Amino acid sequence: MTPVRIPRQVALAERCYRLLLLTYPAHFRRTYGYEMAQTFRAWSRETLRAEGNLGLLRLCGLTLSDLIATSLKEHGRSLLLRLKQLMGVMPPGGLDALALAAPMRLQVAQHTDIGCKRSVNDDNLLTVLPQDPQTFKDKGALFVVADGMGGHTRGARASELAVTTVREVYYQDAQEDSAASLVHAIKQANALIYAENLARGIKLDDKDGMGTTCIAAALQGQTLTVANVGDSRVYVIHAGQMRQVSRDHSLVADMVREGTLTPEQARTHEQRNVIYRCLGVQAEVEVDVFVETVEEGDRLLLCTDGLSGSVEDDEMLHIVQTFDPEESVRQLIARANAAGGPDNITAIVVHVTGQN
Amino acid sequence: MLPLTPAVFHILLALADGEKHGYGIMKEVSQRTGGSMRMGPGTLYGSIRRMLASGLIEATDERPDPEIDDERRRYYRLTEFGLRVAQAESRRLDQLLQVARTKHVLAPQGGF
Repeated sequence: MTPVRIPRQVALAERCYRLLLLTYPAHFRRTYGYEMAQTFRAWSRETLRAEGNLGLLRLCGLTLSDLIATSLKEHGRSLLLRLKQLMGVMPPGGLDALALAAPMRLQVAQHTDIGCKRSVNDDNLLTVLPQDPQTFKDKGALFVVADGMGGHTRGARASELAVTTVREVYYQDAQEDSAASLVHAIKQANALIYAENLARGIKLDDKDGMGTTCIAAALQGQTLTVANVGDSRVYVIHAGQMRQVSRDHSLVADMVREGTLTPEQARTHEQRNVIYRCLGVQAEVEVDVFVETVEEGDRLLLCTDGLSGSVEDDEMLHIVQTFDPEESVRQLIARANAAGGPDNITAIVVHVTGQN
Repeated sequence: MLPLTPAVFHILLALADGEKHGYGIMKEVSQRTGGSMRMGPGTLYGSIRRMLASGLIEATDERPDPEIDDERRRYYRLTEFGLRVAQAESRRLDQLLQVARTKHVLAPQGGF
């Protein structure tokens, strides 16, 4: 969506840096991780421009030593805070928890539609708004969308396994860190689908094999954590602007990022459906994680490419901004079908309407 | 609270003439010190966290910086308290320098 070109070395360095951010304590990473990655990217880009590859290399060295020192420091601080809590000096949760604890009120609508050209619906979706206040506080709300692929009804089976496994594993996982929980849940879903493929004697490139995309978003207080494999998407609509949070693992999305294709060309490119990462085809899968802070009045949209590939961003933004979630979902699907409905269409719309 | 860590004092000074986003602070500090003080993002945001918690700075809004790209960035600015702390730290350092001058460790002002 952003037309600014990011050089390949910078994109690679940023990817490494985002991974390394996982070494920071969860609270710290949730609050500042996004800004740190953003700062790192701007810094790398300007350094590369001014000082070339050698400058970028120096910058990476500096960042790494800085990361080790500050990560240890932040961990030390969390440990100290926890010790103080244990001894009753500080209230549970400490200072950071006060800002994160306030739960949001959410309005949600979701729907999936077969479209106009397909004979089966391979998409699956689910929303969980925990009734139990403690679960809501600990794990937050969960939204999952998956776009399955495979002959007969195999695609639908894969996407169903994905969304249900993610739900089960995420809410059973006791660890506090939402990002780690979501990644763990998606990896479990991958292992399950892969095992089922193996059990049926399916080879990797066999047409009978099944696979699926999977995008999961957990909203805990004001913190939105998104984990993604494939080309289903999460958008955040804030102050009249819509921004894609996730990164598609598709050939055309990479070409757009590298600047060899415009977003308009990507929309009609004949390989626009080709993704290079999905669940079920390999024993291990790499999961991308994105962390955002949302505010009262923000809206979220999760969808499969049956929607984002058929309806222009501006139009999606207009619909989600204008109508309540239920009407938004109805109109989004109607627009995708009016554009030919070449694929299954799935959308979840969430309005963050304020604090309880 | 005094003495401040170098990172915190530099961030206060960087914000003294107006609000900036994280990368803006980083760039200003690096330029003002001729590249000798280079903060990584970890030091920068670790300091920002502490400074927000102790009320030295506050986050203002999120908006794009057209000089960089069209991404939205969070801006930070000095609070009244932050400004007073920066002044107190400057006075403390100034007094220290005066001692250094009277003992001829440092040449009198203006020279070297």
